[in-house]
Amino acid sequence: MSSILTYIAIADGKVKRSSLEVLSHSKKLADAAGFTTEAVIIDPNASNYVEDVQKYGASKIYLVEDALFSEHRNSPLLSALAKIVETVDPKVTAFASTEGTKDILGALAANQKAAVVADVSSFELIDGGIKATRPVMAAKILANVEAKGNKVLVSVRSGSYDLNESPATAEVISVDAGVSEGDLKAKLREIISSTSDTIDLNEAESIVAAGRGVKDDEGKALISELAGVLNAGIGASRALTESGMYDPSLQIGQTGKVVSPQLYIAVGISGAIQHVAGMANSKVIVAINKDPDAPIFEVADYGIVGDLYKVLPPFIEELKKIKT
Amino acid sequence: MKFYVCIKMVPDVTAPLQIKEGELIMDADRVVLNAYDASAVEEALVLTEKHGGEVEVVCIGPAKASETIRKALAMGADKGTHIQTTGDEGYDSTSYATILSAFFKDKEYDVLSLGKQSQDTDSGLTGSMVAEKLDLPYATNAVGLEVEDSKLIVKRQGDTGQEMIELPTPCAVTCSNDMNDPRIPNLKGIMASKRKPIDSIDISSLGLSDEELSPATKTLSYAPKPARKAGQKFEGEADEIARKVAQLLDTEANVI
Ligand SMILES: Cc1cc2nc3c(=O)[nH]c(=O)nc-3n(C[C@H](O)[C@H](O)[C@H](O)COP(=O)(O)OP(=O)(O)OC[C@H]3O[C@@H](n4cnc5c(N)ncnc54)[C@H](O)[C@@H]3O)c2cc1C
Ligand SMILES: Nc1ncnc2c1ncn2[C@@H]1O[C@H](COP(=O)(O)O)[C@@H](O)[C@H]1O
Repeated sequence: MSSILTYIAIADGKVKRSSLEVLSHSKKLADAAGFTTEAVIIDPNASNYVEDVQKYGASKIYLVEDALFSEHRNSPLLSALAKIVETVDPKVTAFASTEGTKDILGALAANQKAAVVADVSSFELIDGGIKATRPVMAAKILANVEAKGNKVLVSVRSGSYDLNESPATAEVISVDAGVSEGDLKAKLREIISSTSDTIDLNEAESIVAAGRGVKDDEGKALISELAGVLNAGIGASRALTESGMYDPSLQIGQTGKVVSPQLYIAVGISGAIQHVAGMANSKVIVAINKDPDAPIFEVADYGIVGDLYKVLPPFIEELKKIKT
Repeated sequence: MKFYVCIKMVPDVTAPLQIKEGELIMDADRVVLNAYDASAVEEALVLTEKHGGEVEVVCIGPAKASETIRKALAMGADKGTHIQTTGDEGYDSTSYATILSAFFKDKEYDVLSLGKQSQDTDSGLTGSMVAEKLDLPYATNAVGLEVEDSKLIVKRQGDTGQEMIELPTPCAVTCSNDMNDPRIPNLKGIMASKRKPIDSIDISSLGLSDEELSPATKTLSYAPKPARKAGQKFEGEADEIARKVAQLLDTEANVI
């Protein structure tokens, strides 16, 4: 029987929400087409996540449980995925478009001679493949793309689909990774910085993002305070990740992360298209900028023209009042 | 070390564009060297200036792409190869990876360097495809490179932290523009680039079948991104407008 297979990414001991979004959508497509919905979990503790995954309708779950996967490394992940895709032979294999996925998607397609479409905002099944929509030209326009073949791989931007529970009891199948430490040519020396103690921007309900207008520790403190009040994740424009003021993991935009929170507050960000490419799908956008002609106001639902150092203190105070 | 950098000519995403009956219409003269590839060239130059070696660039594209190669030569690359296309073949990342791999098959090099993605399509696939096809260890989304003996040390940006990876050569790497600020060619570089060799080769010389080259994906049409509904802009006294918007986020937008 034909199937749609979803790769389930795990981060910080949790299933990534973006993977479950993809699984929810795959389940809907599979049901409509009479396909089965299957999932694969590759992690040292893969079996811990079976319960979470079957809640979203996977009827078969493949587990590759091996200490090899305690850190992200492309080579073992690629081997394991190639083995699974080879044996399961799904019509479509779907991924959330994380950095982990981006690291291996092309290689997996080459290995499996699969047609591949990356970073889509939607996809549907068609005869012999999929039809997908993907933002191009720094997300100024949408391309309608078709991918056909015996095997098709697709990665989906986070926030493209809603979670949709449809509990099933899955058949669980353990699979050997098919590689061992000795096979690996690349060596992981160290993990340098980690923002794992902060809120995952791909999953954050609200994001406060700082740009070059935030000039000093006082500005940074205001950003942190605002984020604290809203329980928001903190993001930054390239100007501030480049200057070292914020961690590179926090960059939002074409080079950085693509996010789609309920609320995005851009503070001292001009709104260059490469930044907007990463946040224009946010539900509500607030911009604070002293330049009334800043392009960020073109995408903002609420624009505040003013000096952030004067705007943020009363803004924070008012939000605190509302919160209590 | 010997670097080969794969560079692509891409339309300038900041140029005006139009969509007519599903077709994308842009000024064909507004093209640039893909920003991520410019960073890959820059880093290869920095590393070879420091450790010795040479930098060659390869570009698959129509006649005009020779200007893109010239740009990389003006930055300081030693030599270019132009793999000619008409530009109308509808090639996707898979086709480009197939062509690049066929080209590199009998070449000697230490590092194949690519951009982490094309600025116009954001696909981000070609690099790891080429690595897989040539069976090279690789790293993607590099934000820093170092050479240590015969190894390439890559700092890559992951989902949360950064990872430091040691790759034996030959290897492949894809570069982020967060790696460096590519140099702007100076007059001397531009003059020198005119004397540097560009090999022009035809795809047919690579021995690939039509089937191998035919793209598995096809862009059917383009559509404008749905516009966001017009927002409200508040000007005036900071204290007042700040409080006003905070209240609207609660009562009107319901996001607090
Ligand atoms: C290929 C490519 C990829 C890129 N990828 C990304 C990406 O992923 N993310 C990204 O962000 N950028 C990216 N960029 C860079 C992007 O083009 C811009 O350079 C960058 O977004 C600018 O950051 P900024 O808005 O913080 O700074 P600026 O453009 O300098 O804007 C600062 C803004 O702050 C305002 N301001 C100053 N002081 C105050 C104050 N006191 N109060 C209120 N407002 C104030 C100013 O009016 C101005 O509008 C990319 C560029 C390229 C070429
Ligand atoms: N036509 C091409 N010529 C040379 N290099 C290319 C070409 N297409 C893609 N590449 C390389 O592959 C990278 C990623 O491309 P993409 O998969 O299109 O995002 C680019 O940054 C280039 O380094």
